[in-house]
Amino acid sequence: MNNTSTLTVQNVVIGVILLAALLAVPHFLKLYHQDLLIYLTINVLAVCSYRLVTLTGEWSLIHAVMMGVGAYTASLLFIHFGLDMWFTLPLAGGVAALVAALLCFPLLRMTQFYFLIGSFAAGEAIRLTWIEFVGVFGGTGGLTGVEPPIFWGIDFIDPIPYYYLSLAIVSFSLFILYRIENSRVGLTLHAIHWKAALAESVGVDAWRYRALAFIVGSFFVGVAGALKVHYLGSVSPNQASIGFMVFILIWVIVGGYNKFYGPIIGVVVLTVFDESIRSFEVMRPAIYGIVLILSILFLPLGLESIPGKIKSWFGVGPAPQDPPLTDQ
Amino acid sequence: MGISRRDFVRTTTAAGALVVSSGLPSRVFAAGQKTVKVGMNIPMTGDYAPWGLPGLYGCQIIADDINAAGGVNIGDDNYAIEIVSYDHAYDLEKAVQGYKKMVSEDDVKMVMMLGGSTVGAIAKWAERKKMLTTTLLCSDITPDTPNLIATCESHPLYNVTGVEWLAKHHPEVKTAAIVTNNDAEYGLQSTATYQAAFEVAGIEVVDVNLHGFDVTDFAPIVSSVLAKKPDVFCMATSFYVTPLMEQLYHQGFKGKIISCTLDYYDEIIAKTSKEFVEGTIFQFPDFDDPKLNESGINFPNPGDFDAKFRKSHPNDWSAVAWEYPAILLNWIEGAKQAGTVEPQAVSATLRSNKNPAFIFGGGKWWGKDLWGQDNVVVGRWPVVVVKDGKARIQEYGSVSGWLDKHAGVLTKYMKSHGLRTV
Repeated sequence: MNNTSTLTVQNVVIGVILLAALLAVPHFLKLYHQDLLIYLTINVLAVCSYRLVTLTGEWSLIHAVMMGVGAYTASLLFIHFGLDMWFTLPLAGGVAALVAALLCFPLLRMTQFYFLIGSFAAGEAIRLTWIEFVGVFGGTGGLTGVEPPIFWGIDFIDPIPYYYLSLAIVSFSLFILYRIENSRVGLTLHAIHWKAALAESVGVDAWRYRALAFIVGSFFVGVAGALKVHYLGSVSPNQASIGFMVFILIWVIVGGYNKFYGPIIGVVVLTVFDESIRSFEVMRPAIYGIVLILSILFLPLGLESIPGKIKSWFGVGPAPQDPPLTDQ
Repeated sequence: MGISRRDFVRTTTAAGALVVSSGLPSRVFAAGQKTVKVGMNIPMTGDYAPWGLPGLYGCQIIADDINAAGGVNIGDDNYAIEIVSYDHAYDLEKAVQGYKKMVSEDDVKMVMMLGGSTVGAIAKWAERKKMLTTTLLCSDITPDTPNLIATCESHPLYNVTGVEWLAKHHPEVKTAAIVTNNDAEYGLQSTATYQAAFEVAGIEVVDVNLHGFDVTDFAPIVSSVLAKKPDVFCMATSFYVTPLMEQLYHQGFKGKIISCTLDYYDEIIAKTSKEFVEGTIFQFPDFDDPKLNESGINFPNPGDFDAKFRKSHPNDWSAVAWEYPAILLNWIEGAKQAGTVEPQAVSATLRSNKNPAFIFGGGKWWGKDLWGQDNVVVGRWPVVVVKDGKARIQEYGSVSGWLDKHAGVLTKYMKSHGLRTV
């Protein structure tokens, strides 16, 4: 009991310090890094929502496109109907979730690599729609002129207010995602991942749960897309390209996906690293690639496994283990 | 009050000549010298890098030359030029971040950009800060962007000169087919311009083939287009000139070829043959071209610039290698004329000049009829033809002359592709 209380107090203290740091950090940064912080905050939601999809063991290549669906929805609603961000945000998530729900029927007939390839094809079909229908979606140039809200006299075009707004929305979204993962639904998603046949043998409808993960993950990444476009002001098909999807994958894999915070560590560390090597200009992609290869070789369980490794070196705990193999 | 072309050429040539003759180190610090920063927010990595990075190399050559010659006098101060670059890799998020960094942290006085969606993304913030920004794509200009100007490349308007030359020198040509990527920023703008130019020239367009960026095999595209038996194969700002040229070669095309760009044409010759590429028409000269030494060219020592560039970056010459430097030189003259480096003053001075010192001469401000602002400098533009394996200027066409007569035709085709016009 005492141990539990101590742990809770420790967690609360860590939480308070983290919150204070998150609230204080933009005041120590210049505009460039304040912007970077906003995009980083939004990308945290993108990777965490992606992790929800991967909980069932399915890795998709459509998540970046779903973020684009959210961004395009918010842009069209703002440009044509003048809807404020307060309305476009949930609607963007809703439309992304609706698209995901429709795609469940063809895509979730497939699993593993087939699902991966199928999701890529579906994503490209959506992206090509944005490119081909120039009149509606602006073609390759995309849509511009989206604005952040002005609320209670606060102009959210300024980075610090927008950062706080993003932080609040992303934190609330992460809380929901965390609660889902730690609920019965989340445990079932894990069960489908590691022991799908066993789960189905006790009456779990794996298709429904996979669909649920895909739809909920798409909803939150749709919200992330809307959040981004209201600050950036523009959206183009290029933003939802396979290139950005690869970044999402890298952030999740390098950070680690066994724990909720793994992808968050991945996106934060790699974003900071990417910026720190910006002065290398044309050599940057090569340096980034080498570091990725090294991290995957020497940290196959991701950056999240580092504390466990350090503890095991000091004999405090067991070394992190590979997750069990799936039975699919 | 206008910038005198003679002054422009005289001062910049003197600066260049001084560097060449003195053999000074690349940077000389004069007592009391200030530094003015000019930004380049461009793609330096990724698919668009060939239309960004060579421009940075070119600007660094120009800046080094000017600095070595003691800098430039603007108002009562002497300035060294510093180029501040940011690689946005044609990503909107990075483009906006890089732009804000340059303006708010680096204190640049002008930002040069490639254009397209990256310019669209920064436009609102740029206007809020009233920052002078340049683009190579004049279609980026809107009624809401008074500080966005295109002082060198007026893509894709100049393509009309190539078609005009083709019709004049090859009257036997009656039909043409256009092939390009289907993007709104480059491909469709260029297609509309070529369609208008062909119509004016009396050449019938028998096929317009717009393909996506996902194409890897160009054989079927070329086969389908050649089935229409065009006299002219036109690549309208295609990102795929080399594979298209290879297919044309392999499929035995014997007609005329016209293209907006022919970057890295040495490679194309190596992959096809010198005879096949012979006679190909495009719009971007090498700078060792003798015709660039004629009067009316507003670029100091083009041959010297060409030699320096190819020595330091032997495989990187592209269409933009001299375009960003030309914009930089133009800005310097504008700042000298304004007597200050402050963006608003330089912007106003440049735009108030009725006879802007356009790189190939004959410049005038244009664009209100099509995009809502007279913020594009159009003038003479070279028609380049490959002769004996070397790109050579044949003559200078008049973009402004063509637009005076046929802007309505261009607007018609822009609208037909759903492109923005006022």
